[in-house]
Amino acid sequence: MANEVRFDKREAVDFVIIGSGSAGGILAKELSTAGFDVVLFEQGPYRKASDFTHDELSVLFRNELAGGGPDVSGQTFRHDQEQTAARPRRAPADYAQTVGGSSTHFTANFWRFREIDFKERSALGAIAGTNFADWPITYGELEPYYTRVDWEVGVSGAPGPFDAPRSKPFPMPPIPVKSSGILLERAAKKLGLHAQHEPHAIVSQAFNGRPACINCGYCMFFGCEVGAKSSTLATMIPLAEASGHCEIRAESAVFNIQTDRNGRASQVLYYDPDGNEQAQRAKAVILSANGAESPRLLLMSANAQNRDGLANSSGYVGRNLMFNAHTAVDCVFDRPLNDYKGVQVTRIIHDFYEADESRGFYGGGGIDARPLWSATPIFHALVGMPPDVPKWGARFKEEMAHNFTRQMSIVGATTSLALDRNNITLDPESKDQWGRPALRVTYRDHDDDLAMSLFLQDRAAELADAAGAVKAWRHPITPSTNGVHLLGTCRMGDDPATSVVDRNHRSHDIRNLFICDGSSFVTSGRGQPTMTIMALAFRAADKIKAAARAGNI
Amino acid sequence: MKKASSLSRRDFLQSSGTLTGVTLLRIGSPALVAISQSACTAREQAAAFTVLGEREAADLTAIAARIIPTTDTPGATEAGVIYFIDNALAAEMSGELDAVRQGLADFNAALRQVHSGTARFDELSADEQDAFLTSRADSDFFALMRIMTIFGFFAMSSYGGNKNHIGWDLIGFEGHHGVWQYPFGDYDAGIHGGASDGE
Repeated sequence: MANEVRFDKREAVDFVIIGSGSAGGILAKELSTAGFDVVLFEQGPYRKASDFTHDELSVLFRNELAGGGPDVSGQTFRHDQEQTAARPRRAPADYAQTVGGSSTHFTANFWRFREIDFKERSALGAIAGTNFADWPITYGELEPYYTRVDWEVGVSGAPGPFDAPRSKPFPMPPIPVKSSGILLERAAKKLGLHAQHEPHAIVSQAFNGRPACINCGYCMFFGCEVGAKSSTLATMIPLAEASGHCEIRAESAVFNIQTDRNGRASQVLYYDPDGNEQAQRAKAVILSANGAESPRLLLMSANAQNRDGLANSSGYVGRNLMFNAHTAVDCVFDRPLNDYKGVQVTRIIHDFYEADESRGFYGGGGIDARPLWSATPIFHALVGMPPDVPKWGARFKEEMAHNFTRQMSIVGATTSLALDRNNITLDPESKDQWGRPALRVTYRDHDDDLAMSLFLQDRAAELADAAGAVKAWRHPITPSTNGVHLLGTCRMGDDPATSVVDRNHRSHDIRNLFICDGSSFVTSGRGQPTMTIMALAFRAADKIKAAARAGNI
Repeated sequence: MKKASSLSRRDFLQSSGTLTGVTLLRIGSPALVAISQSACTAREQAAAFTVLGEREAADLTAIAARIIPTTDTPGATEAGVIYFIDNALAAEMSGELDAVRQGLADFNAALRQVHSGTARFDELSADEQDAFLTSRADSDFFALMRIMTIFGFFAMSSYGGNKNHIGWDLIGFEGHHGVWQYPFGDYDAGIHGGASDGE
């Protein structure tokens, strides 16, 4: 089936791609099917769909897909740089380590950005103390690539009233509405808001040889056992392998991108599955390891010519980390929703997407309804109980039993502002399982991000009431300690003094080093970044192919 | 109490393993097959407690039974939470075993300050147990027991607890059935057919 190929480590392969997730999987497919030889590195194992389980304990609480969590990765967190970072229980930068990366375990909510997301700085003006900026590209330039994601990766949906223009319709109808969607829509109508279909990177019908979603309900943080979730594992990586030009090296952790005397990337050093150091020579290197791992590797690769890390003459590597802040109101209804069945979200509200000066702070966001923690029993018992219920005993038991099928959450996801103080650095003490310096995350949301969270939570509380919830409660809004959206840390831009890569993802400092993943983002969008990561990857692949064919790498 | 701790693991794993072994394989969903395979694996490991002594098991069983009590519906005891705890402390949570033992020793020492010098938690009345647990509710030991009880009540049966899906049945989670058809709930019934949602 797969056309397995093995490349000689001493021969320079056309491209080494580091990271097999949303961006790396697409780049590997695009370049290998165009005839370029590619070695695709992934530090996690090569799981297939049949390896994904419904084991809540293992997946949610033992980080089965996430490399084992901070005990293994050594990740540390602090809010402010004056603090010594500590190792928390849950990973501050939370991502999957498996072929297909986080595209395998994400919830598959799949929004395009809008025109305004790319030029918001011009529209609104500067925000003091931040690195708020326009993107060097526009929605119009990215639109054809969003459409390619729709049709080549597989997206289900229907247009909403505020969506940006699209050049082709969705290839598949939306996933059918669930009780949470019905209730959100009903509440929205009462309040004069507009509930719309949630687009999903999940196929609602058989598509490109993949089966339709079976509604098993294990989307958020779980891998899809039937391949209905449009991960790069299910979509792009099989095509890359079939090309005969792509070798996947799983369980292989790159720890250094080396440069030669001409200042070009020449090879990558990595630990093979047995923990032995190896080197792979390459004509060019593409870094798609995610918004936390990509800057970490650049910082780890510091050498005599690049003392502050590779591609870091601007000092912007690792800076401007953006998580998207999240907020939730949990609600209980009098009759069962059974919202643990099927995808998480079927209706969203984008009435508050755009910034609005009258609010008194910057920001925008989206609202959705979903089971959230009440999709699985342990999560429900530990996080989903109302605050006025005892933590144990008969009442606790009774409340769990009554609420589980009757509960949903109304969730808000917001903008995050780019700040110097929020960043990825190397921890001076902590190491990961390979002995590499651990990721250190320093993060404190901008006040406007938290104000926007509160604004959305107020709206969510109104929606809960309008939906007829018999009980609703807020989860306190506190500064973020964890992100699953890892954005902005190698931002793109035209000015090498304030960005890491150019508009085509080529690093300003090293001609044959490209970086494409969530780190490329200039602004955070409104909470669902994966569609844009994938569109950027298709676009970057076109630019890189053209440059390679022109002998311009 | 004594009944629970003397219940052989083989008994309840056999009773929970049979159905999964046959019917889920027929359905053929890979994740469900994996569940049935792990259930079979656990069944083959049938043995007495791996790391817990009988006395420790009796104490921990009694504590778990107040966290998720037996009421008009089954609780932690009937779900075999103690077997989950024993399995976990022998394997993935083996790093916590010493902490659990020390925590239990401290717990019993405090108990004997309050009650007699030979008091045993499992011999107190439910009200006495709840009063004492309330006084220990802020301890790390209680927090760990609470989490292990919830895990043991709701994790897949292959881990040793959630016997016959008692935990899942209690809350109405039909997770072992796997593949769903619309409508899912009362509020989408009017859209997808079935009973009207009333509005």
